[in-house]
Amino acid sequence: MKRLLTGAFAVLFAAAVPGFAQTVDDLNIQIHGFATQGFLYTTNNNILTTNSSDGSPNWFEGVVNISAQPTPKLRVAVQGRFESFGNATNQISLDYANADYKVNDFLGVRFGKVKSPSGLFNEMQDIDPSYMWSLLPQSVYPIGSRNSVLSHFGGVVYGRVRLGKHLGKLEYRGWAGQRVLNSGDGYFVPQVEKGLILPNGFSVPVSGAALRWKTPLTGLTLGISDYRQQHGNALLQYPAFGLSGHETIEALTSPNFFGKYERGRWMLAAERSRVPATVTIALTGVPNSNIFFDLRSWYAMATYKVTDKFTVGAYNSQAFDRRLPPGPAHYQKDWDVSGRYDFNQFIYVKAEQHFLDGTVLSYDTNLNLGGLKPTSKLTILKVGVSF
Amino acid sequence: MNQLIVKLLFAAAAATSAASAHAQMIIVSSNVKASEISKSDLKDIFSGAASTAGSTHVTPILLKAGPVNDEFLSSYIGKSDLAFRTGWRSLVFTGQATMPRSFESDEAAVDYVAHNPGIIAYVSKTAPHDGVKVITVK
Repeated sequence: MKRLLTGAFAVLFAAAVPGFAQTVDDLNIQIHGFATQGFLYTTNNNILTTNSSDGSPNWFEGVVNISAQPTPKLRVAVQGRFESFGNATNQISLDYANADYKVNDFLGVRFGKVKSPSGLFNEMQDIDPSYMWSLLPQSVYPIGSRNSVLSHFGGVVYGRVRLGKHLGKLEYRGWAGQRVLNSGDGYFVPQVEKGLILPNGFSVPVSGAALRWKTPLTGLTLGISDYRQQHGNALLQYPAFGLSGHETIEALTSPNFFGKYERGRWMLAAERSRVPATVTIALTGVPNSNIFFDLRSWYAMATYKVTDKFTVGAYNSQAFDRRLPPGPAHYQKDWDVSGRYDFNQFIYVKAEQHFLDGTVLSYDTNLNLGGLKPTSKLTILKVGVSF
Repeated sequence: MNQLIVKLLFAAAAATSAASAHAQMIIVSSNVKASEISKSDLKDIFSGAASTAGSTHVTPILLKAGPVNDEFLSSYIGKSDLAFRTGWRSLVFTGQATMPRSFESDEAAVDYVAHNPGIIAYVSKTAPHDGVKVITVK
């Protein structure tokens, strides 16, 4: 699948770019990028992949985007990323590399490595300049495992339909392809820390659809999306004991329901999602180990533009794992207050305070060897530049 | 005294009316078939959500920051220049769009629209606009 897409992308790019008698200006080649530097401090526990209880400045990401538009309906773009986040350091990755052909407002197609357009914020959850928060609500957009849902190799079909003068507009997205995760992906960190390695990574077919209804009430958008992941199986190794076998993730569906209302200086949004999964670790000569989780999550947020440059906001984010026994380990409740100041269109700073209760998300066991305390406060400061 | 009050009221009404009239016009390339556009469609096109005016594929271009640009964004898009450009960057970084070209002056924008098909732009109402089509906003 990857080879096919890479070939198709290369052919399209080759046909679109140099073959035409176009100047560089005609191709509208653009280079954009952004970089952010964050600082985290927690009163209890080390959060995410950082030693935050000592104060950690180890959170950097840099992104470069190159795009060209050889014809008004055709775009090609590639975006790369360097990220260093605590003990997940020096990771260089390809955000996307795709060609986009928009026939008209009703129909467009994007293919290559593409962003998966599920939920309210999935496509932009790794684009820090796009939103006011330093951390999006972790219940629905956990940063540690975001790579597992951000993009896929395949395609997206998209468009919008007018429903009539008094019924608003409906935007649709449909996507399918192959999700490819390497062994170092955040999703696999807990098992990698236990010594379980996926030498070939994990590759699985995925598909999904999303509808966004721009209602007749100006500023109100309601939406639903559904993400489906097929049964996946990957080679697994346990070098410490010389064992090998397979890791299996059963087919799963993950629905999201969301709404957003923007009026004047206010933005209100809410989203609910569910991620149920069954993972089996099968090593030769050892009884199978099954891991179940059924994460039910939601958040509600509000932001207010105090001035054109200064925005404040707050959200409440909650997640519960229905498969775990009651107690702090089966939930996370997070109250957040945030502020963002844009000095100009290139430089901004963010400050954020979280009040965390529960430990089902966001904690790396290896960084909390003394055990987890049920509550913590998290302070985040961030500076970003974009061009 | 009454005459003075009436004159003051007329003056205030005239000033309000002048302030609310848009100081820019919407221009398109001559191949664009539409002669008018709704405010909602204009907002969608300049926000990257749509790319059709009438039945013609159009690409928006922008003016660099300045009074004409700021008033256009405030009147038709409902955003400041900062929020508007942040929104476009978001589309760029998520792979959904290319940032519209920005021009330094009305003259440069008009010239680009006149020499390229399928372009939509806003310029000062007083700008010379030979070779382009002016469309009305409903």
